[in-house]
Amino acid sequence: MNASASLPASAPAARRGGGFGAVLPWLLLALLAAFPLIAPHFELEYYVGFVRRLLIVMIAATSLNFILGYGGMVALGHAGFLGVGAYTVVALVDAGFSSAWLAWGAALVVTAAFATLIGAVSLRTRGVYFIMITLAFAQMLYYLGVSLRTYGGDDGYGIYTPLSLGGWLDAQPNAFYWAVLAIAALIFALGSRLAVSRFGLALMGIRDNETRMAALGFPVFRLRLVAFAGAGAVAGLAGALLASHNGFVSPSMMHWTESAILIVMVVIGGMGNRWGGVIGVGLWLTLEEVLKMYTEYWHWPLGLLLIAIVFFAPRGLAALFGSKGERA
Amino acid sequence: MSLFQAQGLVKRFGGLVATDNVSIAVEPGEIHALIGPNGAGKSTLVNLISGLLPLDAGKLQLDGVDLTALPPHQRVRAGLSRCFQVTSVFKGDSVRSNLLLAAQAHAGSSFRFLSRRAGEQALMETALGLAEKVGLSDVLDRTAGTLPHGVQRKLDVALALAAGPKLLLLDEPMAGMGPEDSLQMVELIEKLRAEAAILLIEHDMDAVFQLADRISVLVYGKVLTSGDAEHVKGHPEVQAVYLGTEATA
Amino acid sequence: MDAIFIIEQLLNGLGYGFMLFLLAAGLTLVFGIMDTMNLAHGSLFMAGAYIAARVHESSGSFVGAVLIAILATVLIAAVIEILIIRRLYSRDHLAQVLATFGIILLADDAVKAIWGPSPIMAPTPPALAGPVQLLDALPYPSYRLLMIAAGLLVAIGLYLLVNHTRVGMLVRAGASNRAMAEFMGVRVGRVFSFVFALGAALAALAGALMGPISAVQIGMGEAILIPALVVIVIGGIGSVRGAFVAALIVGLVDTAGRAFLPPLLRAVLPPSLAADLGPAMAGIAMYVLMAVILTLKPAGLFPARA
Repeated sequence: MNASASLPASAPAARRGGGFGAVLPWLLLALLAAFPLIAPHFELEYYVGFVRRLLIVMIAATSLNFILGYGGMVALGHAGFLGVGAYTVVALVDAGFSSAWLAWGAALVVTAAFATLIGAVSLRTRGVYFIMITLAFAQMLYYLGVSLRTYGGDDGYGIYTPLSLGGWLDAQPNAFYWAVLAIAALIFALGSRLAVSRFGLALMGIRDNETRMAALGFPVFRLRLVAFAGAGAVAGLAGALLASHNGFVSPSMMHWTESAILIVMVVIGGMGNRWGGVIGVGLWLTLEEVLKMYTEYWHWPLGLLLIAIVFFAPRGLAALFGSKGERA
Repeated sequence: MSLFQAQGLVKRFGGLVATDNVSIAVEPGEIHALIGPNGAGKSTLVNLISGLLPLDAGKLQLDGVDLTALPPHQRVRAGLSRCFQVTSVFKGDSVRSNLLLAAQAHAGSSFRFLSRRAGEQALMETALGLAEKVGLSDVLDRTAGTLPHGVQRKLDVALALAAGPKLLLLDEPMAGMGPEDSLQMVELIEKLRAEAAILLIEHDMDAVFQLADRISVLVYGKVLTSGDAEHVKGHPEVQAVYLGTEATA
Repeated sequence: MDAIFIIEQLLNGLGYGFMLFLLAAGLTLVFGIMDTMNLAHGSLFMAGAYIAARVHESSGSFVGAVLIAILATVLIAAVIEILIIRRLYSRDHLAQVLATFGIILLADDAVKAIWGPSPIMAPTPPALAGPVQLLDALPYPSYRLLMIAAGLLVAIGLYLLVNHTRVGMLVRAGASNRAMAEFMGVRVGRVFSFVFALGAALAALAGALMGPISAVQIGMGEAILIPALVVIVIGGIGSVRGAFVAALIVGLVDTAGRAFLPPLLRAVLPPSLAADLGPAMAGIAMYVLMAVILTLKPAGLFPARA
C-alpha cells in the first residue's frame, strides 16, 4: 500500500502512448468548445450548464489531485478553499464590483494567502493528524461563513446580476462557458506540465520518501507548502467560478462532506494521474445526475461504487485505461 | 584544523542519554570509522549530525561553517551528505530517475514549474557521471526496487554523492551484504576517499580495519577511545566490550 | 449572566461531553488497535438514534428501546465489520476513509428508505420529562441528568473493563503495540471484532440518548463524527483515558463557547460585530483548541504509544 505504487505516467510514457494519447486532450477540448453550439440542435441546452459545472469541479479536483496524488498530502479540507474563493466573489459583488476577471483573480490571491497560512501550520503534522488538522481548518472556515451575517450567514448570498466578462463578451450567451473551459484547459495543461517539471518531480520524491529527500538537500517543507498554497489558490478560483455559475454561495459548500467527495472523485479517477480529476469528476457527477433522474435514492449506488473502487481498483479508473507495461 | 568537528553532542530520550557528550572530528581526506556494539547510539549520532534528530546540546562545524542550527537540507548544501542504514532509494523509480532527482537537488532551484526536467541535458550528464562512478551504468533503466540489495546500496551511495559532499556519512554500508558485495563496497569506499572525507559507521570489522585511518569506539553513548587500528585492537576495554564482558573502568 | 445560568450550561457541557466520550471511546480503540479510520462510526450513532426513537414510540418502553437499539446496532456493525471493515485493516488511511465514506452513503439512503427523508421526533420518556430541583433556584431537566449519569456509569464500566479485566489487558496490549501483542499470542483480530462491537454499542447508546434532545435526522452521524474525531485526536489516538478527558474538555468548551462567548462579545464589541463573530467563535472554539494542542503535543494529550 505504499504511495509509490501510484506512479503517474511519465512524459516519455505518455508520448510513447502514440498519436492518440497526444491528440486526446485537444479532441476533447474541441468537442467541449463546440458543445454549446451543437446542443440546441439536440435539445440539450440544459446540459451546457451541467458540463460547465463539471468543468469547474474538475478544476477543483485537479488542484486537489496535485497535492493528494503527486504530493501525498491527504488534505480533508479542500472545500474550505472553494468557499474562500466563493466568498471573495461575494464580498466584491456586495461592494459593488462586477468584473468577473477581477473577482476571479482576487479569489485566487485571497485563497492563496489563506492556504499559505493553513499549510504553514498543517504541514508540520503527518498522517492522520494532517487529515484532521486540515479538516479542522475547513470547519473553522465553515463557521466563519455561517457567522458572516452581512453575506447571509447560514442562508447564503444570492448573486443576482451575473458578473461581467467585459465588452462584447457580455452579449455572447456562451461566453461564461467558454471562459470556464479555457480556464479548465489551462489548469489541466498546467497540471500535466507540473508533473514533469523539477517542482513536480521533487514533490513526488517527497511523497515516496520524505526523509531521503531532506537528506538529498531538498527544502521539503517549502516545496510542500508551495504546492499546498498553489493547489489551494486554484481551488479558490474554482470556488469563485462556482459562485458565478450558481449565482449563489452558502457555507454548505464548505461542509466537510464536500471535501470528502472531492477526495472521493480524485481517487476514483486516479490519484497522481493527470486524468484523475477529469475522469473522477465526470463519472461521479454524471452518475449523480443520472441517478437523480430515476430515483431519490441516489446515494447508495455511489456508496457501493466507492467501496468497489477501494477493493477492486485501488489505483483509480485512469490506471485501468493506462498502459500496462509502463513500469516494467 | 579538522574538516569536521562535533563537540559535546548530547541527546536524551526521556531519561535515557543516547548520546552522552560525544566529540568527534574528521580530518580532510580521512576515513574515520565509528564502531560500537548494538545500542551504543551510532544511528542516533548519525541522525544528530545529519539533522534528522534535534540536538539537546553540542556544536557541529564543517569546513568553517556552523551547522548546529541548520535544518537537514541546508546541512547537505554546506557539504554534509549521508547514506542510510536501511537502503533509502526511490524504489518505484528507475535508477536513472533516482539519479536525476539527486542531481536536481544540487543544480539550481527545484521551484521550476513550467519546463520539463527531461529536457535538461546538464542534469542527465551529472546523473550518468554518478552512475559511472559507482558502477550503475548498466542498470540505468531498471526499477530501483527490483535490483539486488548490493546494487541498491550502491545507488544509495550515488544519491549521497550527488551533493558533491565534503564529508560523507556512511551508516553501515555493508549491512545485510554477502562477502562478494561487501568486497565491492570496500573498493567503492576506498575510491571515494579522493572525493570526500568519510565518517564510516560499520559492524564489519574486516572492512573497518581495512579502510579506516582512525577508529572511534562508541559505548553507551560515549566515545570510549579513539585511535588507529592497532590502538583500538589493543585497548583492554574495547576487547572487554567486544568479548561481551563488562568493562570495569 | 448569573451563576445559575453558568452552572446550567456547565452541566449541559458535561452531558454533551459524556455523549462525545461514548462515541469517541469506540473510535479511538478501533483506531488505536487496528490503525483503522472509520468514518461510518457516525452512521452507527444514527442507527441507534432512529431505532430507539421508533421502538420507544411504538412500545412505550424507553429502557427497552435503548436496549433493542444497542442490540440491533451491534448486529448491523457485525455485518459491516465482516463484509467491509475487516478487509480494510491492512490498507492505508485513505482507502479506509473512502470505503467508510461509502458506508455513510449507503447508510443514509437505507435510513431514508426505512424511515423517510424528514427528521423524526424522539419522545422524551414521560417519567423524565420534568425538571429536577438541583438547588433552590436551579431546576434542571431530569433527562439531561440521566444522560450525565449514564455517561458516567459507562465511563466507569469502561475503565474497569480496560484496566481490570483480561479482555481489557488484551485491548491495551493491542493498542499500545500491535506487533508485540501479536507476537505474544494475542489474537488481535478477535480483540478487534470485540472492540468494534463494543464501539458500536456505545455509539448506539449515545444515539439513543441524544435522540430526545436533538433532531433525529439523516446526516446527524456526519455532524457528530467530526467532534468525536476531534476528541480522539486531542486525547491521543488509542487512549481511552485521553478520549475521556478530551471529550469532557470539548463538551465544555463547545457548550461554554456557544453560551458565554456571544454575551461576552456583546459586552466588549459593537453589537453588529458581536452578533457576527459570536456564533463563529463558538463553533470554531474546539477546532482552535485542537490546533493549539496539536502544536504543543503533536500526538495528543495522552499518547497511547510510547
